[in-house]
Amino acid sequence: MKRHTRHVTADLAVIGTGIAGCAASIFARDLGLTVAQIGHSGAMAYTTGYIDLLGVLDGRVLDDPWSGLDALRSTDACHPLARMTNHDIRTAFDRFVRLLGEMGLGYTAPGDRNVSALLPYGTTKPTLSLPDTMLPGSDALHRRAPALIIDFEGLQGFSATEFCTNMASVWPGLRPARLVFPGLEARPVFPEVMARTLETPVAQEQLADLIQPLLNGAETIGLPAILGLQAPDRVRARLEQLTGATLFEIPTIPPGVPGIRLREAFERELPRRGVLLEPQNKVSEAILRSTGVDLTVQGALDDLRIEASAAVLASGRFLSGGLKSDRYRVKETVLNLPVRQPETRDGWFSAEYLDPAGYPVNKAGIEIDAAFRPLGPDGVPASDRLFAAGVVLAHQDWVRQRCGAGLAIATAYGAVQAAAGSINAR
Amino acid sequence: MLKKSAETATIDFLATARALLPEGASYDACVGCGLCASGCPASGMFGMDPRRFINMAMLGMNEELSTTPWVWACTQCKRCAYICPMGIDVSLLVGASRSNWAKEDKPKGIVRSCAAQMLDESTSAIGLRSEDFVEIVEETADELRQNDPRFAEIEVRIDKPGAKFIINQNSREPAVEPEEMAPIWKIFDYVGADWTYASKGWAAENFCMFSGDDEAWRDMVKTRVDAINDLGAEIWVNTECGHSFYTLWKGIDRFGLEANFEPASMVSLYAQWIREGKLPVNSDWNVDNLKFTVQDPCQLVRKSLGDTAADDLRFVVETLVGKDNFVDMQPCRSANYCCGGGGGFLQAGMSKERRAYGKRKFDQIVTTKADYVLTPCHNCHSQIDDIGAHYGGAYHVTHLWTLICISLGILGPDERKYLGPELAAIGLPDPQ
Repeated sequence: MKRHTRHVTADLAVIGTGIAGCAASIFARDLGLTVAQIGHSGAMAYTTGYIDLLGVLDGRVLDDPWSGLDALRSTDACHPLARMTNHDIRTAFDRFVRLLGEMGLGYTAPGDRNVSALLPYGTTKPTLSLPDTMLPGSDALHRRAPALIIDFEGLQGFSATEFCTNMASVWPGLRPARLVFPGLEARPVFPEVMARTLETPVAQEQLADLIQPLLNGAETIGLPAILGLQAPDRVRARLEQLTGATLFEIPTIPPGVPGIRLREAFERELPRRGVLLEPQNKVSEAILRSTGVDLTVQGALDDLRIEASAAVLASGRFLSGGLKSDRYRVKETVLNLPVRQPETRDGWFSAEYLDPAGYPVNKAGIEIDAAFRPLGPDGVPASDRLFAAGVVLAHQDWVRQRCGAGLAIATAYGAVQAAAGSINAR
Repeated sequence: MLKKSAETATIDFLATARALLPEGASYDACVGCGLCASGCPASGMFGMDPRRFINMAMLGMNEELSTTPWVWACTQCKRCAYICPMGIDVSLLVGASRSNWAKEDKPKGIVRSCAAQMLDESTSAIGLRSEDFVEIVEETADELRQNDPRFAEIEVRIDKPGAKFIINQNSREPAVEPEEMAPIWKIFDYVGADWTYASKGWAAENFCMFSGDDEAWRDMVKTRVDAINDLGAEIWVNTECGHSFYTLWKGIDRFGLEANFEPASMVSLYAQWIREGKLPVNSDWNVDNLKFTVQDPCQLVRKSLGDTAADDLRFVVETLVGKDNFVDMQPCRSANYCCGGGGGFLQAGMSKERRAYGKRKFDQIVTTKADYVLTPCHNCHSQIDDIGAHYGGAYHVTHLWTLICISLGILGPDERKYLGPELAAIGLPDPQ
């Protein structure tokens, strides 16, 4: 049987379909570049939905991420965020959050201060922008307003009682309650299933009817994040209208709805904006040329060959497959770029399991120059047409620094600006 | 309920996984996140879901996995593999488990459908023999020529050597509703395509893959491939059907058969002909601005051609109904949920589970508020029709060929079975 190869040319190839990759594609389209984006399911679906910029620095929780970035520049100049100006980071962040709104996911405008955002187990974290469906929860916490917290029979990963108990010392006016989700009796339930069901008016009415008798004067209700997938703000508005109360969402542990919302929204939006999106396969071969980058993607039935003038590598870390390791070394998987890492495996970890400083291997990743070009083995850029963004980069610890989304968005912006410059200069 | 008899062998699922997985992939890589289970409409049935299946395989719970009837509720749609960051494909293990069930314990409907395909070289799952197919096609073509002067000369060929296209035909049409074959003939006639049916291996279904009978699957594909090779067609066109496409190219691949042709989906051909101006369709007929959504067949999109096929499908539908009258389900394209009609579920006699599975599809459809669901797949068509009736949906389910012929003004009066009352009389020739 003849196996076909589709040939495509693009100004920019984006390798990766996480937040960094999707942000890069959008930024590139904004500049009028043609874009082909390739990647398999990655870590985006695991996010809480919060868009962090920089929440923690040297173990301190930051109220002001922008001055935190200033501090980072003086203490840790190799950190990818330290390579950019606050102005550029703000431009990227504002654009990205506005885009989410355009995709039907309302987000708060990033301001000057971090906000205390709720987490599934009744803790909080600092973030810069949060979904409109979650904002009233942060507000209610700030005001210590009494609230009813609801969970569901069979739902794993979110317990109202646990949330209320752990919050009790800072937010005493919480009351837990449990409901059986209509139509999902006596079976394990997933937030995605509830959210999908809640997009139908019938399910919205059924749930509101179940909530009503629990209200008992409560004006604010916290629910696990289940208020629809494609139009959560509309689902929330409708449920608020039906119950007469203010509703807010609390993210659940993976597989949670906010991350799936983001992933599906990008899968909808990118093709609409003219991005050739291959969401099902990873790059099987990448070749650097002096005039660009050639990529091959093996599909089930045919192959795709992309000739791009430049590429942004946004392939993520271990979970997304951008990095992999054997027992001895960490490797970069797409182009076998050198990975900055401790000399030997002995240096990967710390003696203390929960060391708040993190492990040295957490900061492993690829080195870039000031123009976001990955460095080759000799310490000079591997190519003038290759750029990198996101958590595949070295010198950052996004988990502990609460900077995952910010790092992805900001470096995607930086990498795309640099890539556009290289294309235009040809 | 389905039950496996005690004497059936137990599979070592981890060893099976190692043998089946592509290089570099590993079930050990499962981080247990549950995205697969969250996105699987069969989760929770028979106390099983894809994550649990993998967990149990890791724990060596081979006996439980070898006997769970859940493998017949999983439609092998591969959405778990699509959504898993590690690309773990539970459907491969489900296929191995299905194969391992004793024939007498498997769902009888699927086994019967496969057995029917083995009866005759027609490969029809409802046992329609080659000579009957030829007769029905010839009679139906004669009626068309007599009843509609515009098609008095239409050529409907069988076994024409050297034709560019060879198309297959789902058995439902010749067996139950032969008039539904005519729209495709008219479309091929309209564009002046050089096409033929084959009297052997013409049927567009393959339940032997679903019944887990690899030998029969291979035989089925071989019969079809030989027929196509013998006639020397350049392009094999799969009708508006999902699994007959996947099972053929996958079968050729898997069993190492020699095929001297290119496989093509009918949908991609429609798209190509519209782009080339050969099928000048538009949405002028949709004066009431009826709303349409599409079901992406898993077998055609996610499992075969990817979003290229999804793009073609949307291009065809948006051209046909008007861009503003098209509403996508969410999620869709490669991320679409299976409707629950795949994997032989419709034939498995498990209506309760199948409809519970289909509830998620029903909710998706209702959310679009569409009046019509279009799908180039017979199993999707039947399932979406059934869950609509079961859960009280107000939508109709229709083939693409029907709308193409409406738009071209060539849809006959007896080719409107799947249209609602608002379209029942549209574009009919003036009786005067």
